Amino acid sequence: MKFQLKNLTHAYDLNVLHNLNYVLEDKHSIGIIGKSGSGKSTLLRILSGLEPPTHGEVFVNDMSVTDPVYRRTIGFVFQSHNLFPHLTLEKNITLVLEKTRGYTHEEAHNRAHENLNLLQLDDQAHKLPKNVSGGQAQRASLARALSVDPNIIFLDEPTSSLDPILTHEVLTAIEKLKDSGKDFVFVTHVLSFVHDFADYVIFMEDGRIVEHGDPSILDTPSTKALKDFMAKVH
Amino acid sequence: MKNNSVSKRTNYLVHGFIILLFILFLVFVILRQQTDFEISRLDGYMALIAEGFIKTVLVSLGVLVGSVVTGFTVFLLGKSNVLFFRAFVNVFTEVIYGTPLLVMIIITAFVIGPAFNIFNRPVTGILGMTIYFTPYMSNIYKSAFSSITDEQYMAMDLFGFTSYQKYRYIIIPQVVRILMPPLMNNFSLIIKGSALLNVLAFRELFYATDIMQSRTFAYTEGYIMMWMLYILITIPLSQVVKYLERRWTLE
Repeated sequence: MKFQLKNLTHAYDLNVLHNLNYVLEDKHSIGIIGKSGSGKSTLLRILSGLEPPTHGEVFVNDMSVTDPVYRRTIGFVFQSHNLFPHLTLEKNITLVLEKTRGYTHEEAHNRAHENLNLLQLDDQAHKLPKNVSGGQAQRASLARALSVDPNIIFLDEPTSSLDPILTHEVLTAIEKLKDSGKDFVFVTHVLSFVHDFADYVIFMEDGRIVEHGDPSILDTPSTKALKDFMAKVH
Repeated sequence: MKNNSVSKRTNYLVHGFIILLFILFLVFVILRQQTDFEISRLDGYMALIAEGFIKTVLVSLGVLVGSVVTGFTVFLLGKSNVLFFRAFVNVFTEVIYGTPLLVMIIITAFVIGPAFNIFNRPVTGILGMTIYFTPYMSNIYKSAFSSITDEQYMAMDLFGFTSYQKYRYIIIPQVVRILMPPLMNNFSLIIKGSALLNVLAFRELFYATDIMQSRTFAYTEGYIMMWMLYILITIPLSQVVKYLERRWTLE
């Protein structure tokens, strides 16, 4: 995937992102790390088109993120599973496919089960989100994101609401998708996952990209900010 | 939590025992009356009581349907971008919250109704109750709709659902589930409140009992039967509410 930030500034009350200019090419799995409030989730939301930037332009694979067509090429996994709570895991997927992607009932059903199987949820397909574990719900959310056949999957701290065991369960499931041909952009606090899964790391602080490079920057940070960050999280 | 973990059987037994105590208390109170308790004195008036009972149910259903509609309207006005509507809703809600139901019924029937040439008492009574329950219904909508999180709306946008699809497949099915239990609770409040319509000489259960008593002097019998008839509707209703809450909760 390729992404370009041109004079990207984003503000709520004060600036959350400061005039970012940045180009990245030929990466398949990008991890964004940083302290809470560093702007990493905001950057992810803007890259995914969920939030339009207040100033500047952002292009992903040469398509503007504000283009409505762009949204149909991505998948997004939220912090909390964010499944529709009144629908079973299966229906959460089939509803999306039938209503927004024009699948027939049969096609949608098959596709849903294909993806639920992939995430080992076949036996949970007919349960409501409230009746499965947090890890299963998050995996179902991942299955839903995969079902629309996106080019890129965005993950916004997908395990922050889970305990360590469920975190491991979900991250293992994500790692298995590495060879699925999808690109990933994710925000997480689990640095071992960044190490294993990312082929590029972006470190942010105070709304700026402070350091970036392949995952080895985590072991040998060159900026003081990343050094301090690594010292604190280890 | 541990202190509350009793077996289902024990739970039923203890509840059964308490119900028995309640019945014994009722018997005790009846036996303490000056006059003998003779249910046969109600013979010949059952049709009157049944009519009152049916009217109570029908009027309550009317008020329920009415306030479901007006409550939704007020809910929408309260969310409006127009300040005038929001201010109207705020003032209206405060006025109603400050008014006792009995006062609302009397004011509607004897002051507001006549000002618009409406003298039909059942109509003004139902109108008064409908107005009174409107803000309470509006509140139910407010909490039901607010339980759909921003993240859910984001997900809907992300997948590209149309407005119609969002409401039809995602928002309304959830809102209905969340709405049902408090709606049933309000129905129970309406049924109980409808007893106040007796002040308009409207022949619902309370007034029908009153008429029967003035003819037979069967006061104790009448009051007890009336009480039981109200409970006959409201307690099953509250059991349905509890069932729906258990069954339909989404969290």
